Amino acid sequence: MSKLQLTSGQREKTALAVIAAIVIFLVGGLVKLQIINHQQLAAQSENNHIRVVPITPRRGVVYDRENRRIIDSRPSYTISVVPAEQVKGVTLKNVAQLLKLDTLEIRRRIRKNLVNRYQPAPVKRDAFFETIAVLEEQSFRFPGVTYQIEQVRRYPVGLGSETFTGYVGEVSRADLKRQQNPELRLGSMIGKKGIEKQYDTQLRGHEGTAYIEVTASGQILGSYEDRPEIPAVSGADLVLSIDLDLQQACSDALDTFCCGAIVAADPKTGEILAMASYPSYDANIFSSVIPESVWQDISSSETHPLLNRPLKGLYPPGSTVKFVTVGAALEEGLITPSSTLQPCLGGFKFGNRVFHCWKSNGHGRLIAVHALERSCDIYMYQLGLKMGVDLLSRYYGLCGFGQPTGIDLPGEEGGLNPNSTYYDERYGPNKWTRALVLNNSIGQGEVLVTLLQLVQFYCGLVNEGIVYRPSLVRKILWADGNETTILPEISFRLPFSPSTLEVLCEGMRLVVEGEHGTARSLRSNQYSIGGKTGTAQNPHGEDHSWFVGVAPFDAPEIVVCALVENAGHGSDVAAPVVGQIIESFMQRRIRVNDITMKSTGDND
Amino acid sequence: MLNYRDLDWKLIGAALILSLIGVLLILSAQYHADSEFARTYYERQLIWLFIAIIIFVSVIHLPMRLFDVTAYMLFGVTLCALVAVLFIGSSRMGASRWFSFGPINLAPSDIAKLTLIFALARFFAYTKLGTASKQRLALSFMLTIIPTALILKQPDLGTSLVFPVILLALWFWSGLSLLHLFLIISPLVSLVAASHWIAWAAYIAVLLTILFLLRPGMLFGITAVVANLAFGIVTPFLWNRLADYQKLRILSFLDPGHDPRGAGYQIIQSKIAIGSGGITGKGFLGGSQTRLDFLPERHTDFVFSVLGEELGLWGALIVIFLFAFILYRAVRIAARCRSRFTSFVAFGAASILIFQFLVNVGMTLGFMPVTGLALPFVSYGGTSLVLSWTLVALLVSADYHWQEY
Repeated sequence: MSKLQLTSGQREKTALAVIAAIVIFLVGGLVKLQIINHQQLAAQSENNHIRVVPITPRRGVVYDRENRRIIDSRPSYTISVVPAEQVKGVTLKNVAQLLKLDTLEIRRRIRKNLVNRYQPAPVKRDAFFETIAVLEEQSFRFPGVTYQIEQVRRYPVGLGSETFTGYVGEVSRADLKRQQNPELRLGSMIGKKGIEKQYDTQLRGHEGTAYIEVTASGQILGSYEDRPEIPAVSGADLVLSIDLDLQQACSDALDTFCCGAIVAADPKTGEILAMASYPSYDANIFSSVIPESVWQDISSSETHPLLNRPLKGLYPPGSTVKFVTVGAALEEGLITPSSTLQPCLGGFKFGNRVFHCWKSNGHGRLIAVHALERSCDIYMYQLGLKMGVDLLSRYYGLCGFGQPTGIDLPGEEGGLNPNSTYYDERYGPNKWTRALVLNNSIGQGEVLVTLLQLVQFYCGLVNEGIVYRPSLVRKILWADGNETTILPEISFRLPFSPSTLEVLCEGMRLVVEGEHGTARSLRSNQYSIGGKTGTAQNPHGEDHSWFVGVAPFDAPEIVVCALVENAGHGSDVAAPVVGQIIESFMQRRIRVNDITMKSTGDND
Repeated sequence: MLNYRDLDWKLIGAALILSLIGVLLILSAQYHADSEFARTYYERQLIWLFIAIIIFVSVIHLPMRLFDVTAYMLFGVTLCALVAVLFIGSSRMGASRWFSFGPINLAPSDIAKLTLIFALARFFAYTKLGTASKQRLALSFMLTIIPTALILKQPDLGTSLVFPVILLALWFWSGLSLLHLFLIISPLVSLVAASHWIAWAAYIAVLLTILFLLRPGMLFGITAVVANLAFGIVTPFLWNRLADYQKLRILSFLDPGHDPRGAGYQIIQSKIAIGSGGITGKGFLGGSQTRLDFLPERHTDFVFSVLGEELGLWGALIVIFLFAFILYRAVRIAARCRSRFTSFVAFGAASILIFQFLVNVGMTLGFMPVTGLALPFVSYGGTSLVLSWTLVALLVSADYHWQEY
């Protein structure tokens, strides 16, 4: 016990030792934090007060072939209240009055969107510019009220152009999984369909980064001087091959019908000049939150406005594909241009069934071009039987049917080109009859095509058998001033020799120009037209009405394919539609030529 | 009259430099504050420093004898004030700790620290009871436990801890053996060790070994063992009696990362502030943790974190060594005094400064729980500053009169 009993001198030394120990202890703590853990804690301090904010780049504008805007972005104003800066009894009252809402509603919206007291809480999205003007002019009446400008995509309405424009929407989790782009995050925008999706990377540009200093409670103090901002790189602009006037003409031509689609292309390049689906919908609704009722209307409508008919609609082509049948027979030497087959008497007996021609009293004895002119079914049946299912199917395939055309749009369908393997799988080996080839020879039965495939095929027919890949984008204008021109690309060649093509084209010409042509009504004295009607039986009711037209036929510049669903004969419905579009195209072309001629005349 | 040249000017100088550093740190702490009032804290601190120096000058002119004679009376008055503040004190954040006189808030608990020193010093200086006698220990314990309990009642856990520390320090200074001190503290160790039964069992074994080897006396030994067992058993019960914020403080001290947005927030932000300051600091007024509001209570409890962030290791070392010097002088003075009363007063003053310095700086470094104890001389607060300077005045006075009995 005495060992632990200290003298006064020992007590003094003990006390001093305790003080020394405390000092060493605290200095040790300082050294640990300020030297050993300094880097880690300095980084934490930085994270504390520097917020990394992405700068959204300007999304590229999409132009038509004459540099008219198809898609651009408009500013959208969001009015917000910063709770920390509002003045009691003034801010809410005046904002409510400005927005014609009651203060309770404003309060509710602030609460709903509140992040913290220093962050603007949106109370009104997409406000009118007039409202913003009032805010600016009378800012003293609105303490704590701010507005932000967001870019919202703007699409044409009522042109059926959403078939190729597509639209943007908020990034989904699936998008994040698919694309490993660190700039994508939930809530930002991404192309969901059409050009917007296909060229999303180009249109999007690259995000910039701003470094913003914030307080502990989230109050933003402005940019952080020690780290300069990395500016955003604007997205590239696109120039499409689309002609907006023609697009308008297509939309007008379909206006009186329930449902249909049109594709127009330049056969010399494969460029798509117009592409419309009807009924159309307003692509702008996808830019913001879609009201449930609107969504219900669109998605449950029996007319399927959301179906992209030119790209994804699968239809029996009907007589429009008789060029494949005749062309194949010529190539295979089964017929010559001057040879005839059994005469058409309106019906054709095969097995114990009679297959009819569309003309019940028959066409009589025909050579190839006349069979095409008059669209004789009996003639095609006989060719079909000569070839058999697989040979015909091979030619369908060589003409581009049964596989996507490769247009620069996402989600294209390939159609159906049935052959014996397909039938064996579908019905079982030897469980189907050769009668199926009769249907296939006139574009009926199980053959399904898209409008793009048909357009592509006709483009090849009138372009010496050379098929260009259908394309939409002509030029990419990069933000740095460079541009990339996308040249027409040959997709494939039709399996027809020049002499065969000559016969097919003559048939196409006679459809309009011939005495017995099924589209005689389209004849014009200003320019020549060629084409082919089609009337496709389908299980959904009335026949689909087809027409593919080419003009001017002596030097083709445009191929127009129109489909009107459940509307009747091709010659009665689709042919006038195409005629109207070709007329619009040719009149403008003639006008342009006149102006050019006049101006050269002035110069003389 | 005093001969001013013989005053301990080094001690006074160290206190003055610390106080001025404090004013600068308070200026920096609230320099970017939103409220106009907060931005002028440093001016008020400067005014309080002026008042504190006036009181310092007054106290060194008073004879130590006066405190000796009036010690019990002053203590009694303070106890009355502590009772009164529970009823008529102004409440802030659920605690009634202050009397409000217009803009001035007076905390009787700070004055109680002073008067307890006087009372205990008088008791130890004149008692005839033996150093380790039961009556002596019990009486001095009674003197201490009354203000402690009243302050716990406010509630102010941090401040109430200072009083038992003063008692322990003066027991030590009065010659109580280290063994007895250990046995007295041992139930508290038991309290902490009881959080895990293995730790507690090991500790009890150590305790019994010490008792067996050093034999402090039958009664002492039995009392110690009983107290330890009792404390170990009632710990869970006591834990449940703590207010939620007190539990959170203890938990967050044990594991600051446990609830980084809640109770551990202050400790984490303080460590980030000090650590990010590094060796040279971010510069005066340049600390982002301080400037941007991340550091809580930065002009009061966490003023040392502002120092560490803005002036770095060098600035912090200067303050630590100024404290070390003051504490060293205080112990030397206490040891040199011939008057027993004066010696106890000086050592009591030293013990307050040591304890608050350790607990406050330890807290900012993450070693100690958040107790709300101010850093003497430096933290914002009038009564704290006046108390610190009164302690310095007593030390200077004791030094000046060291030869007197």
